[in-house]
Amino acid sequence: MKKNRTLIRLVAGIAVAAFALAGCRGGSESETTGTGPGITEEACPDAVNEDNGCIYLGTISDLTKGPFAPLAVPITASQEAFWNRVNEEGGIGGYDVNVTEYVGDAEYNPEIHNQKYQEMRKDILALAQTLGSSQTLAILDDMKSDEVIGIPASWNSAWDFEDQILQSGANYCFEAMNGVDWAVAERGASGKVLAVHYPNDYGGDAAEGVKIAAEANNLEFIDVETPTGQDNQAGAVARILDEQPSLVYITTGPAEMAAIVGGAAARGWQGTAIGSSPTWNPALLQTEAAPAIEAMYFQAAPWGPWDEDTDGHKAMRDALSDVENINDGYTAGWVWSYPMLQVLKDAAKLDGGISRANVVKAAAALESVDYEGMLPNDALNKKGDPSEVAFRQSVIGGVDKDSSTGVSTVNALAAGPTATGFDYTAPCFALQ
Amino acid sequence: MSSLLSNRNISSKPARKSTGVRGRPLLRTSYAQEITLANTAAKRRGVIAIVVLGFLIPWLVTDDLLSILTLGVISAVGAIGLNLVTGYAGQVSLGHAFFIGIGAYTAAVIGGSPTSQAIGYGLPMWIWLPAAGIVAAAFGLVVGPIAVRLRGLYLAIVTLGLVFIGEHFFREARSITGGQGVGRRGAKLELFGIDFASSEPIAGLSREQAQFFLALVFLIIFAVIGRNIARSAVGRAFAAVRDRDVAAAVIGVDLTKYKIMAFALSSFFAGVTGAMYYAVVGVFEPSAFGLLLSIKFIAMVLIGGVATISGSIMGALFIALLPRMSMEIAHLLPFLTNFITVFQLEAILYGVLIIVFLIFEPRGIYGIWLRIRNYWKGWPFSY
Amino acid sequence: MSGLFQALLDGFAQGSIYALLALGYVIIFKATHVISFAQPALMVCGGLFSYHSMSEWGLGFWPALIVGMALGALLGVVVERVALRPMLGKPVFTLAIITIGVDIALRVLANRYMGANPRPIPFPNGSKQHEIFGLVITQQRVALIAVTAVVVIVLALFFKYSKEGLAMRATALSQEVSLAQGIRVGAIFALAWAIAGALAAIAGTFVASTGAGLEQNTWIIALKALPAIIIGGLDSIPGAVIGGLAVGIIEQLAAVYQPSVAPWLGNNFALVAPYALMFIVLLIKPYGLYGTKEVERV
Repeated sequence: MKKNRTLIRLVAGIAVAAFALAGCRGGSESETTGTGPGITEEACPDAVNEDNGCIYLGTISDLTKGPFAPLAVPITASQEAFWNRVNEEGGIGGYDVNVTEYVGDAEYNPEIHNQKYQEMRKDILALAQTLGSSQTLAILDDMKSDEVIGIPASWNSAWDFEDQILQSGANYCFEAMNGVDWAVAERGASGKVLAVHYPNDYGGDAAEGVKIAAEANNLEFIDVETPTGQDNQAGAVARILDEQPSLVYITTGPAEMAAIVGGAAARGWQGTAIGSSPTWNPALLQTEAAPAIEAMYFQAAPWGPWDEDTDGHKAMRDALSDVENINDGYTAGWVWSYPMLQVLKDAAKLDGGISRANVVKAAAALESVDYEGMLPNDALNKKGDPSEVAFRQSVIGGVDKDSSTGVSTVNALAAGPTATGFDYTAPCFALQ
Repeated sequence: MSSLLSNRNISSKPARKSTGVRGRPLLRTSYAQEITLANTAAKRRGVIAIVVLGFLIPWLVTDDLLSILTLGVISAVGAIGLNLVTGYAGQVSLGHAFFIGIGAYTAAVIGGSPTSQAIGYGLPMWIWLPAAGIVAAAFGLVVGPIAVRLRGLYLAIVTLGLVFIGEHFFREARSITGGQGVGRRGAKLELFGIDFASSEPIAGLSREQAQFFLALVFLIIFAVIGRNIARSAVGRAFAAVRDRDVAAAVIGVDLTKYKIMAFALSSFFAGVTGAMYYAVVGVFEPSAFGLLLSIKFIAMVLIGGVATISGSIMGALFIALLPRMSMEIAHLLPFLTNFITVFQLEAILYGVLIIVFLIFEPRGIYGIWLRIRNYWKGWPFSY
Repeated sequence: MSGLFQALLDGFAQGSIYALLALGYVIIFKATHVISFAQPALMVCGGLFSYHSMSEWGLGFWPALIVGMALGALLGVVVERVALRPMLGKPVFTLAIITIGVDIALRVLANRYMGANPRPIPFPNGSKQHEIFGLVITQQRVALIAVTAVVVIVLALFFKYSKEGLAMRATALSQEVSLAQGIRVGAIFALAWAIAGALAAIAGTFVASTGAGLEQNTWIIALKALPAIIIGGLDSIPGAVIGGLAVGIIEQLAAVYQPSVAPWLGNNFALVAPYALMFIVLLIKPYGLYGTKEVERV
């Protein structure tokens, strides 16, 4: 009866395998030189500038199976191109930036998101991307105690009130206000407005904005929650046909938007449909819903699409010239990265140079970001109170078959009267 | 404690008990010796060795791996629970995720702090942990009668329906769950005045080390309970129901009673697992309790070994470590990443490893162990 | 009232998709006693085969559908041969978990192919509307219903009259007896998977020709066929069709009427309405509407 010993051997074998996976405790704790975790005097792997040190930025995104993978992959690729350009221009204060060494696929799951953060927390200076609201919330406490700042891959009003989260562009809430204001002024929207939205942080934030703008414009507001899946939009379509609103504000994914607009139009609904920026994908122009979308759909967006004529857009197009399926996920990833660049530059000027503590300090003191014209330089300000400094301007885009991403700007960056006058003392849709 | 070494063919395996005749290890003089908790001295030593090893692990592995192991150790309790209903009693349940969710939210409401979306009463752990089990068990009692009426795959898919309906309920009950995309925090992990979720070191231990110890104690308690259920009259009744329920009914096993009991017990284990697991995880969303979670638990049972407590534990650790293993292996195969990204390779490997494991060792990790044991049992005549 | 009939018609059309998928599940179950969780991946891959042959090889819709079916069938056979044949005679739940592993692996590859953009398969003149008794239905939906009807009839004839069909029925009855009668049971398994793969490809192609087309989240549609097969009875071919149609209709009715009739069920109850229907059916008939009752011996 030697089963116990063999079992011990087996368990020991598993344990040894486990240790082999991770190395011994203490062994993999990075020996940080220079000014702290995530920054080394040694050059980056495959460095552009061999003489520079290296700053490691982490990315926790949704890269394979999760619902946002279609957007997260281009966003991540675009950010990689952004930092590559920074390195080619000489880096920051004697350091290159590496965003490829610590990348985690969290599958849009807070639990995995947290695991990925735990894996990289000792090795990164900051997070170049943390995708998802509850996902970011799951690591926010640790980020605070680690003095790690992060760039969220979203436009959520809640992040305007967090010091260590640097979000660019107007949030979904202001975007919705601007969309409704614009539709009232330019498309003659009146009577009823229907907010068709996902029952989550993204949809909730926009729906709140629609509601506020509807009140300001004396429209009747109707709230319709709709699930993911283009085959599940029958309820939303039925509500539109029932209520016959002049304006539908949609906060879903692209396929759902096409099913809603196409489905309602096929049954005779005529009106204006405005979608938050994630409702658009250029491939929709090849679907059977294309005629309806061309006729009725407009996009409310935080900045101009891929083809826009600014220095930043131009730099992005050059850096990503070999991309085949262009979409505005690339644009988003690019714009989002500017604040991180600015903060690193600011931190380099502080006493002690770039370190986690100085990065947090620089982020808190951030008053302007050089967006190379993609957004105004004062579009992000973490120093002032959100009610005074939050950025409230959006772009309205229309369908344009000739443009690279299928949309072009109809109404340039501007804040509507509702957004301008809104008393912004708390997030539209609270996360905590 | 010998639950770690349980063996489902217990009645056919001769073994020694300390009260037995000295020097005659295979002699048993009573049935009670046969079914005792640790029926050989060797088993007792083995279990002690494993437990000691378990307590040493926090000093051997890094914090990030330790947090994965912690979750694996906690899931092991849920896997034991599923093994009670599926392995021992033979009622295949794909509804485990639902009961885990019930436990997680019961604990979060009772023991968590309120948010702008969700309620929470912040009561201590000794209230929320048992409550999570009891509420989940109550739901198990409601579901149990379905199992009396249905069998096999019908039961499996109906319990799967439970998961979908449960997920819908979790998504809509925002005052309990926080809703999609927002979620809420689990119960406060605080026991004897020690905050296990604090990032400050606790008595010289990192948060991950402290949580691992907590999880290990939690597992030991429930593994012993699970083993005791399995070796008692209840466990034998379960096995009779599994092997042929009509025959069991003929010899006087009350099918309705034992099927419902199996579901209730299994749900209790699921409930406490959900409570602990998401207290450690932190933020969680309703989408956590979907089909995939149920499947993970079924996979733990199948990969570990059906109707074994030790198998459940090994299966849970295997599934918990699987993403990490896929990741490490994916990084060893750089030539494949010309075609797909390393993350896609990781995800594919996750699927492929499950397939490969089950094809080559359909009896699970426990089957590997049986082969090793039988080899050494006959050594040096190992053929 | 026309609203109700319109919802029934829409549900019927959507239900045809579920019926095709449910048929795949049932045929595999009858032959091998395994519930295949790989159907979502087979559906997406089948649809992508059609998409690829249309967009890259320039085929029309119908030839592309045929190519999609052929490649879908081939994929089904490969899956069976590689992942399931080695497991012959092993517990069915182990096999079910293996199909999940297959599903995960295949879907990641499909996602890699799709990337960010939805992949639509335009149906020729698909959005053209027909009006019957005041109800509207698009050309594409008419074609879907017609194709489903043809598939069901062909399958019924196949099982009733062809030699292979007879062999499949015999295998479903008893694998050992079939072996003894000289039926190559392994080939029957492969055939079952091939048929299921082809059916999934038809479903995938038609899913891709509605709305925005195939995208990374489309696979979930295939799971809606699970309540359908339980409602119809796991081993019943007519049951699969009835179950699929019932799921489509109940879903549509719930989407349109539940918010006003039963708002207390919460938003978007339509998502789980098929499961609610499944529970009700099983309370009355534990083996579904047409399932074979298990005969037990002590």
